[in-house]
Amino acid sequence: MVDLVWFQLLSAALFVIGLYGVLARRSAVLILMSIELMLNAVNINLIAAAAHMEGFGSFSRFDGQLIAIFIITVAAAEVGLALAIVLRMYRNRSTVNVDEIDLMKW
Amino acid sequence: MAWVLFIALAVVTLGGGLAVVATRNVVHAALALLVSLVAVAGVYLLVYAEFLALVQVLIYGGAIVIVLVFAIMLTRSAEYPRTSDNRQWPLAAVAALGLLAVLVPAFLINAVQDTEAKNAAFTGIAQSLFTTWAVPFEIASLVLLVALIGAIIIARSGPGEN
Amino acid sequence: MQWAWLIPVFSFAVAPVIVLAGGRLTALSRVPGGAVLSIAAIGAGFAFFWIALLGWMDASAGTESCYVAAGTEALTCNYERTWFNAGLPGLDGSVALTWGFFVDPLTIAMLGLVTFVALMVQIYSLGYMHGDPRINWYFAVHALFAASMLTIILADSFLLLYVAWELVGVCSYLLIGFWHERPAAREAAKKAFIVTRIGDVGLLVGILLLWREVGTFSMTDAFAAVQAGTMGEGVTIAAALLLFLGAMGKSAQIPFHVWLPDAMEGPTPVSALIHAATMVVAGVFLVARAFPLFEAYNATPLLVVAIVGLVTALVTSTIALVATDIKRILAYSTVSHLGLMMLSLGAFGYTAAIFHLLAHGFAKALLFLGAGSVIHSTEEQEISRLGGLRKVMPLTTLVFAIGAMSLGGIPILAGFWSKDEILQAVSQGRNPAFIVFALITALLSALYMGRALFATFFGKLPQELEHTHESPPVMTVPLALLAILAVGFGFISFNWPGAFGGFGYFVFFHEGHGFEFTWWIGILSGVMAVGAFVFTWMVYERGSISLESARRRFAPLLRVVENKYYFDEIYQWTIDRVVLVFAGFVAFFDRAIVNDIGINGPADTVRRLGVALRLHVTGHLYSYALAMTLGVVALGIFWWLITA
Repeated sequence: MVDLVWFQLLSAALFVIGLYGVLARRSAVLILMSIELMLNAVNINLIAAAAHMEGFGSFSRFDGQLIAIFIITVAAAEVGLALAIVLRMYRNRSTVNVDEIDLMKW
Repeated sequence: MAWVLFIALAVVTLGGGLAVVATRNVVHAALALLVSLVAVAGVYLLVYAEFLALVQVLIYGGAIVIVLVFAIMLTRSAEYPRTSDNRQWPLAAVAALGLLAVLVPAFLINAVQDTEAKNAAFTGIAQSLFTTWAVPFEIASLVLLVALIGAIIIARSGPGEN
Repeated sequence: MQWAWLIPVFSFAVAPVIVLAGGRLTALSRVPGGAVLSIAAIGAGFAFFWIALLGWMDASAGTESCYVAAGTEALTCNYERTWFNAGLPGLDGSVALTWGFFVDPLTIAMLGLVTFVALMVQIYSLGYMHGDPRINWYFAVHALFAASMLTIILADSFLLLYVAWELVGVCSYLLIGFWHERPAAREAAKKAFIVTRIGDVGLLVGILLLWREVGTFSMTDAFAAVQAGTMGEGVTIAAALLLFLGAMGKSAQIPFHVWLPDAMEGPTPVSALIHAATMVVAGVFLVARAFPLFEAYNATPLLVVAIVGLVTALVTSTIALVATDIKRILAYSTVSHLGLMMLSLGAFGYTAAIFHLLAHGFAKALLFLGAGSVIHSTEEQEISRLGGLRKVMPLTTLVFAIGAMSLGGIPILAGFWSKDEILQAVSQGRNPAFIVFALITALLSALYMGRALFATFFGKLPQELEHTHESPPVMTVPLALLAILAVGFGFISFNWPGAFGGFGYFVFFHEGHGFEFTWWIGILSGVMAVGAFVFTWMVYERGSISLESARRRFAPLLRVVENKYYFDEIYQWTIDRVVLVFAGFVAFFDRAIVNDIGINGPADTVRRLGVALRLHVTGHLYSYALAMTLGVVALGIFWWLITA
């Protein structure tokens, strides 16, 4: 069987890839996608741990899965809002590149 | 058998992820994201989380990726086929690898050996969701509602806009 | 009598009303509304002066708040209230500041002079300032001045006196510069303000010194401390001399005398009230009020007072002799007579000084108002271009002649008696050198008064002045009233039967004394005065004596005197070469060290630092995210380090 630690390493790798995307991409839409990758990495971690860690402390097998469900819910809400913001941004400034939006500098 | 599946799914997940952050074409990135997310659903099946795998395919594969494609379509930027990274991407890579260098040893050192994945029944999930997690569940529904209204208000044309 | 504090309050109350509502009041009546209010207020003050006087006469040592003061042995009524209590950290208990007022002979005598002269001058101003666009402002400041002056007189605490003292200075400044369109008036106002201020510093330091020694600002306490001997000799003498410095500034004693002649740039009624009869005698009043301080410890400060007074009287009377502007002659004459009052105080002639103060006040106000009448009709001040006015202005000529002869010391007029009192006091109180110089001053006084009188009103009437008219009654009636006093005021010094007994039993120090008359002084000064008037009459009316040969012979001396002994030039040189150079250094220090380095330095440093530091705020979302990530990595490494 595959040990928990491999799932965790997979999760870490996916998280770091998503982080790089957030930090390095210019387009706001691509940054959103990278954020989804990071959320998924967290979900993998939670679900794998929930399945493997039954009986440790007060964990129940379902708690990890339920937290993942809430994360997916929040992610859906977040994507909806982010889409609205991206649309508004595009309408106001005709671009979705975050490095052209720097009104808040000095 | 499980190992083969895990490695295959891991490769597809990480490859999709890398494609998302590396490709120059935004539409390709969206497709790569879809591939990666479906592979993640496969990973869930490996730990017997069938319900979550279902939810993953439905919400991520069905809803979120579609919404993202809508975003691409509505903004329709001329730059999408050749979008690029910003100037700080090497620094971003260093920071990301730095975080990996912190996370990986942490997982390896604190690894729990010889555990076995166990199935979580649908009925158990439902019972837990509507008893222990009832209040967060209601709050989550409220969050969705607020996000829905907020999205409408933000995206709607203001007065004087066409 | 306990209502005496109302005397200044009337005028204090109307001053702001005139400023704020004067224009509207004018629209309601034919005469300026401000003038009506101001005259009504000072008239009420004059009425209350009689109430205070009669109340004091009724009072005795047993009356409430009244007692026989330790220093003067005069019946004094002192009404005192607590102003405020101030608790100071580090001091036991609190400092109670009291203020109140004296009703004693000195105060009553001064009240009579100030209220009466102010009333006369304000009525006269109705005519003199007729048609001036700022007449309401004029009367507002006049009212404020009268109120402040009366407060000085009534004050029983040095602090209250100082406040009123400065208010008087401000009013003087405002009134000298009343015609501020004229540069000379502006300059004169500033000069008067600054020169008197130099003296006022001394006054303030003196008051604070007394406060340090006594613990209160109350005059009664200070005098009691001197009487009891608890205040040291050095402190007492220093405080007295510092107070005298303030008195010198206000009373224009040498070397502070330079402001008074220039102050003649103000309207003539202002000169009559402020720079002849009232404000300038505040210095004399202060010395008289603080006499217990001056007299303590063998009266060392009084010697200084006497010498300063004598030098001032002598020097300025010679300048008055050669001045050509009628107002400046009167101004130098004022300084000279103030010097005589100081001399009298310095020679223990307390009664004589106050008596001369009053007699001089009436006569000098009369002279100034008479000169104002001339200026009002002819618009000419140079006596060389005036002359023969007796043919066209008979009434003014009469009253001016009375004033001039009174001040010059023609026998039986008021000035003769008061000057005689001073000469007598000097002959008794100081060594013979003083009386010699005092007699010379008296002679010079008669000479310049005769010169002003005969050069202006006698001799040949210039052609362009032939159509001059007498001034209106609103101006001549006050003149006539003042003239009556200038003639008859001297008689109150005689030994009268009854309760009053004579001026010597009213205002006195230690003990009252009756009227005395030393025959040789009286006859000598009387003969000198008459001789001086006859001499000037022959020079300016008859033309039978020519001064040309004397002028030629003493030309260098004459030039020195005509240039007022170069006081102004010396001061100007000092200001240019010493004060301004030092001020330039201070200004440089302030600009370069204090401002540029001390104040702007830290500000500039912070600003430059801010300019440098703000560069990290790029406004780019991913920059902030990167920083966050690096922070997380750093936290992880830190965690590794502390757990490993």
